[in-house]
Amino acid sequence: MRDAELSFNLDSDMHPIKGVLRFNADAMITAIENGSQTHLISASEVKEAEVLAGVGCGLAYVKMKDGRDIALARFDMSQLKPAGEWCKIVNHFIETGHAALDQEIERPVCPKCGLTYPEGMRICPFCYSKSSLMRRTFEVMRPFWPQIITAESAQTLSNILFILVPIFNRILIDRYLTPRTGTFTQIAFLAGLCFLVRAVGEAIFIVTARTYAKAATLFCNALRDQAYSKIQKLSMSALAKRTPGDLIRRVMEDTTTLREFMTDNGRWVVEQITMFFAALIILLFTNPRLTLFVALPVPIVAFALSRFWRLIQIRYERQWRKNSRCQSILHDIIRGIRTVKAFGSEDREIGKFARVNRDLAKVSSDNEVLWSLLFPALTFFTGIGEFLVLYVGGRSILAGALSLGLLVQFTMFISYIYAPLRWLVSFPRMLADAMTSLVKLFEILDEEEDIAETAESLDVPVNGAVEYEGVSFGYKSYEPVLREIGFTIEPGEMIGIVGRSGAGKSTLINLMMRLYDPNTGRIRVSGADLRSVSPRRLHERIGVVFQDTFLFAGTIYDNILYAKPDATPAEVVAACKAANAHEFIMKTTDGYDTLIGESGYSLSGGERQRLAIARAIIKNPQLLILDEATSSLDLETESVIQDSLNRLVHKRTTIAIAHRLSTLRAANRLIVLEKGRVAETGTHLELLRKKGIYYKLVIAQRQTNKPA
Amino acid sequence: MQANVQSAAKPDNYTAPELSDAIDLGLIDPSAARFGETAGGFLELTYKDKNYPRVSVRRTLPLGMPYEYLSIADEENHEIGILRKLADLDGDQRRLVEKELERRYYCPNVVEVRSVKDQLGYVYIDISIQGTGDITRRTCAIKDVNRNIRMLSDDSVILFDVDGNRYMIPSLKALSAKSRRRLEPYLF
Repeated sequence: MRDAELSFNLDSDMHPIKGVLRFNADAMITAIENGSQTHLISASEVKEAEVLAGVGCGLAYVKMKDGRDIALARFDMSQLKPAGEWCKIVNHFIETGHAALDQEIERPVCPKCGLTYPEGMRICPFCYSKSSLMRRTFEVMRPFWPQIITAESAQTLSNILFILVPIFNRILIDRYLTPRTGTFTQIAFLAGLCFLVRAVGEAIFIVTARTYAKAATLFCNALRDQAYSKIQKLSMSALAKRTPGDLIRRVMEDTTTLREFMTDNGRWVVEQITMFFAALIILLFTNPRLTLFVALPVPIVAFALSRFWRLIQIRYERQWRKNSRCQSILHDIIRGIRTVKAFGSEDREIGKFARVNRDLAKVSSDNEVLWSLLFPALTFFTGIGEFLVLYVGGRSILAGALSLGLLVQFTMFISYIYAPLRWLVSFPRMLADAMTSLVKLFEILDEEEDIAETAESLDVPVNGAVEYEGVSFGYKSYEPVLREIGFTIEPGEMIGIVGRSGAGKSTLINLMMRLYDPNTGRIRVSGADLRSVSPRRLHERIGVVFQDTFLFAGTIYDNILYAKPDATPAEVVAACKAANAHEFIMKTTDGYDTLIGESGYSLSGGERQRLAIARAIIKNPQLLILDEATSSLDLETESVIQDSLNRLVHKRTTIAIAHRLSTLRAANRLIVLEKGRVAETGTHLELLRKKGIYYKLVIAQRQTNKPA
Repeated sequence: MQANVQSAAKPDNYTAPELSDAIDLGLIDPSAARFGETAGGFLELTYKDKNYPRVSVRRTLPLGMPYEYLSIADEENHEIGILRKLADLDGDQRRLVEKELERRYYCPNVVEVRSVKDQLGYVYIDISIQGTGDITRRTCAIKDVNRNIRMLSDDSVILFDVDGNRYMIPSLKALSAKSRRRLEPYLF
């Protein structure tokens, strides 16, 4: 069996080193720095292994049974998580006597570049080749290929038609105009042909644009749907890694970027490339010498354009950032205008905004100046080929080596070469932006669902029995929130969970709802391991009221139905009556049809909470979870709600967290949490008599509530 | 009644006491503090005859005043007091606290920017860094450059990589022209 190894990179003086912290099958811990052993400790003497997170660095250390603390390994932030995993293995051994050495500690490293994958990603952005991204994109686009191919082929056909125009021009000049032998019919025929080619070309163009826009919209909508449904399925721990803003951006902005790229740029890819090469080939066949003059500035222009494009991109990015800074300051100040006025700091704020605004104006004007200089210069330089062709071609005509029609055809084709060139030079940047959006979307789509609904997921009838067995959990592996939690709740019991803030109370019920899975140990609901239970079925049977109630924009009725979409009106009213909400609802003009949410009726804290309770109980759940359900309310409102809750908890397993300990007096049992462990259990009276943590909490609360 | 109102009124020249007089900052008396290092490698403190076997030192203003107003807390993170200035301690005592700060705040200086690669929403910067020891090289990945490449002043910059590591550029002017040019597009 291999050892549990953690590499670390700093010594006790924070000098860079190569170090290894090892825990082996003989339960020995060794620390080695640059090849020399610095520590050798038997795990049997260790009480606990822990990680201390600093700022930009961390430390793994052990608490010895004799009370000493020993620092083992220091590292930068890259090793913080692995260190947490290493400590977990050691602690698991201390608690169970079993060394789980097979567990993966180190973060996965890209085999190509050796860099660790960014958190939550399974591809290495550093090495990810554009071609593999393209392959993946093509796969996702497969259902839309028929439309895209049709559009591209039609576009190519239209281009071929446009290519005919200069050729018709040449024929017109050389055959009929220069020798002055053409008849009116012949000229009219050629002019008509040009007209027809243009008209057909434009008609095809319209059809192509429509087909393409439709395909792009459908493709991006499909991606948007996939991303959104994936977000709904992801566990809380996967979601917590990202901000709501980030997720919204991925679903909305990244898909929009893609759609815009496809409609504005993607469809030109084939067109511009065929145009460029078709024109080049025709030019080469017509007159290789003149073609050389056309092609002469091409590499120089391409190089210059690509360099300038980057410069412009950077400058405009800076302008964009200054602009967004300006906006965010404005947003911040206007939102906090009451505070600004209360502190009399209007002048300071005016000054602050003026400074940022001045900055923005400067960057914008610099950019405009650069653009107004650069653009004409580039256009002029691009046109040098045309001047060369005119000069060389003109001389050849005078010498009789070239016809006038050919020269006209040539100059017309030059624009067919330079236009795609200008476009192609800027294309990589636009492609890069689209690819960034694509990667972000794929990142969401590829995320593993750690709490997934599988075919084996059980549909367990929730009878209210809950059992925690050796449950440990941390949102970050190096910071355990719950440690070795164990207790049993019988059906119908009311349990109060008590503890200081940060003791792990909410985490305890987050696990019960299976928003997260424990790191070690198991939770049983109605005798079944929660890991095997279908999360969807479980949530259908648990009623929950949080402290921060979230009500969706819609009517009161819709919000109650959210918990049970098939509830009858009688059930909705009954639930609201039970939650003491009916009375205030009936005072509104539209009763249960009253719109709530951002633009609707504004509810008070107590009203929101009563609706949340109604929403939780309409399912008639056997297990009711109340997480600080009444703590944000005044005492009078709380007693009204408490009243309705007391009626409900009867014969229903209820787990309640409450800050005001008086609200838990009716509980059959109280579980007191302290630093993530169960410190005390018992009834209110038993715990008071014990004069432990609960007693102290009650006394402290009495002191604060005493009238001054 | 009238008299009562008059007696409750404050004299014209009355001013509220200074906040620092009204609230005890809990400043540590350096002469009563004795820092030491435990055999296990932790900082310990004996203050006013009480021994704290493991203390931490936190900066109140890590960027603005890194060596002033240092909060000293015990193992349970309860503040023992605030050390007004590191310079208030003498010789080896100062060195011990300074070492603890180095161990808690790791933010090596960037001495060279070797390359910058903008790839799929991440900016990979190949840098040479120096903390308290030798110069080492590493490639750090930075996401959301607007937020994670932060100008602290016109001349100093701090970088935050995706793992949460921090790198400081105390003076852009002190970097080579090449390094500055590579980083320039991301500074604003």
